[in-house]
Amino acid sequence: MVRGIKEINIPINRAEGDLEVNVEVEEGVVREAWSVGTLYRGFEAMMQGRGALDGLVMTPRVCGICSITHLNAAAEALDRIAGVTPPDNACRLRNLALMAETVQSDVRQSVLMFMADFANSGAYGEHSLAAEARARFQPLEGRLAVEVIRESKRLVQVIAIIGGQWPHTSFMVPGGVTAIPDVAKLLQSRIIVEGFRSWYESAILGCSIERWQEIQSLADLDAWLAESERHREATVGFFLRFCREAGLDRLGRGPNRYLSYGNLPLPEETAVQGSDGRLLPAGYAVATTVLPFDPQQISEDVSHSWYEQGGGPRHPYVGATKPYASGQSGRLYSWVKAPRYGGEVVETGPLAEKVVAGDPLFVSLVENGGPNVMVRQLARLVRPAALLAPMTRWLEETASHAGDSFYRSVSGIPDGSGAGLLQAARGALGHWVTVQDEKIVSYQIITPTAWNGSPRDEKGRRGAWEEALIGTPLPDVNNPVQAGHVIRSFDPCLVCAVHCLTRGGGGSGRRRPR
Amino acid sequence: MKTLYWFQGGGCGGDTYSLLSGENPDFLGLLHSLDISLLWHPSLSNISPGEHEALCQGILSGERPLDILVLEGSVICGPAGTGMFHTSDGHPRKERIYALASRAATVLAVGTCACFGGFGVDDVVESTGLQFLKKRRGGFLGPDFVAASGQPVINLAGCPCHHDVVAGALMAVAAGIPLELDKYQRPLEWYGTTVHQGCTRNEYHEYRVEESDFGEMGCLFFHMGRAGPLVPGPCNKSLWNQQSSKTRMGVPCFGCTDPEFPRPNPFFQTPNIEGIPLALPMGVNRAHYMVYKGMAAAAAPEHLRKRRSKV
Repeated sequence: MVRGIKEINIPINRAEGDLEVNVEVEEGVVREAWSVGTLYRGFEAMMQGRGALDGLVMTPRVCGICSITHLNAAAEALDRIAGVTPPDNACRLRNLALMAETVQSDVRQSVLMFMADFANSGAYGEHSLAAEARARFQPLEGRLAVEVIRESKRLVQVIAIIGGQWPHTSFMVPGGVTAIPDVAKLLQSRIIVEGFRSWYESAILGCSIERWQEIQSLADLDAWLAESERHREATVGFFLRFCREAGLDRLGRGPNRYLSYGNLPLPEETAVQGSDGRLLPAGYAVATTVLPFDPQQISEDVSHSWYEQGGGPRHPYVGATKPYASGQSGRLYSWVKAPRYGGEVVETGPLAEKVVAGDPLFVSLVENGGPNVMVRQLARLVRPAALLAPMTRWLEETASHAGDSFYRSVSGIPDGSGAGLLQAARGALGHWVTVQDEKIVSYQIITPTAWNGSPRDEKGRRGAWEEALIGTPLPDVNNPVQAGHVIRSFDPCLVCAVHCLTRGGGGSGRRRPR
Repeated sequence: MKTLYWFQGGGCGGDTYSLLSGENPDFLGLLHSLDISLLWHPSLSNISPGEHEALCQGILSGERPLDILVLEGSVICGPAGTGMFHTSDGHPRKERIYALASRAATVLAVGTCACFGGFGVDDVVESTGLQFLKKRRGGFLGPDFVAASGQPVINLAGCPCHHDVVAGALMAVAAGIPLELDKYQRPLEWYGTTVHQGCTRNEYHEYRVEESDFGEMGCLFFHMGRAGPLVPGPCNKSLWNQQSSKTRMGVPCFGCTDPEFPRPNPFFQTPNIEGIPLALPMGVNRAHYMVYKGMAAAAAPEHLRKRRSKV
């Protein structure tokens, strides 16, 4: 070990699944970082040889907080193979369940997982907002922590109304959905969504969604903050003030390249506006310059992952997942693979979605001060503002078309390949599926966390949050809350990343590739 | 006051999100009413890594009593029994699970992965449940394991486990009321009836009016792979998220409380002979069942044959 350099292993909890980060700290600043997924679950191998529809039951079990997302990707891949477009009602109901799941995840992650650290007295005892932060965010007790548990639970009732239960239902099938709720239940869902919206406006935004959407730039954001006590005191205003004083607007830059697969296909008949037939557009952005998305540019590299080596980066249709736990030897250090877009390291998630969609506020924030922990987390905290109104509209449209079809019969899945690519709560999720004789011959999944939490690739380039960690101050290595902020701003979901690959398990935590 | 430590093994976290969906009381109300102190939950706690390690050492040395240990997710033993597919700071997680279970007064396996191994029971990942590997008693802790309270592992099966079951089991444990268990150590309170009980499609089942494609009105047992009459569980007795169940929305029961879940044969299909499933409802004689179902189909009333009865 070089004198003055300390190597530490930081376990990161309040992420879905566990994760460790090995960092080298010199003079209280992170100089190098290795992100280690510490679990291999072997989901992809489990899929081989199973029935063609089994992805609908198996893959939601990849993740307890985004199980609808996996169901949706699995169903879309099968729609493609079967060559069927689900009817409007199915499109609305699938979108509604996914949006409800995304919104609950956004508020739970923001308050219970990200902001819980604001209540960390060791790190923030001296912060001027420390006492108030504890009163709001202390796990299981804080005012807002309690409210979030209550309100998010109500919202997921909408998913149960549409799909029977949450988590882990399988109501999306190739051709549509398995049932349509009674009109009274659809109207009840609308009331639940509206109730959630009132809470979200009052507790999170501190203003109406319409007022929030008037904010188009950094200057507008500052003016909004100065405008009223209510804006400053609600969660978003409090979050901004806390982050700025703690310097979180200068932490965690990352690659400044963004990927969004786009999502939420619009029904043929709808009042909801989008672009290219979807509510969220697909694209790849270098800083704030947006380019078209090309799925052929996706590849996965296992050069630093505990998988059988050789062959270079591969497109997921020809990818393989063969575990090879070599422990500490060599340069392998994670069960997560390294996906790259056009060979580049990218980040994905709500910030990527906003940048790719050209959202004026987030384009302005990235151009003024760059991507950072505060901006990345803010994108997540305010994403529900863009989803709640279309949810209400789609519930009304479903109720007024309740007699229309919700399923187009698909008799058997033909031989072929198909991909389900969509934008989940944590970012770009893809399922690549090949079916032959009604059996799955290959199933590869690339999750948002694989994009964000990847290890190095064959060229030695760090993954997105490894990169974002460089330069992070760690004044107290026994309470490394700043490293946690950087990683949690990406909303890691390691149970997902592992499914595909995994939480890594070999060797010791101090794993400096030699 | 009782103490609770929540450990996540090889799993998806779904049992935690299920539990957070509980109502009357909700999760926080439950902890408060039962005077349970949640020492650690991987998704919720904000103590530093150092404080967490000190907490674990306190439990392992016996200095800090542990009343309830919950395991969510399987115990991963691969590759080749080493447990290195799931580590913590380079050490197999399974070692910590063993050490904590040896100290706990009560051990709850929450979810099918923790109970029976669930996803990853194969010769690569080598997942196992705490005291069962699928139907075979033993699992990770061995057939003779009993926690300090004198009870073996209590298996709260399901994928995920129903929120009302976890809440109910915590209430019973906190009150010191022993739960009567079935042969797979699932409490009879919730696993004493089949998922079929309370299913709103029962009238269709009774007269063998069958669904053969998604979105029809009918029974899902004969063609669509529904396991409701084959496995125990509370899904149609205590509704999910206070609202519904999969069968109410046309999704067949996949039998997720069964030790063999996920079964190897394709979902959404019922292997059958002449329209009668190979796997019959619990305890039923095939010849009698075929005669009964034949007569029942002939007797089906018009509102069922025309599928006018809502589910």
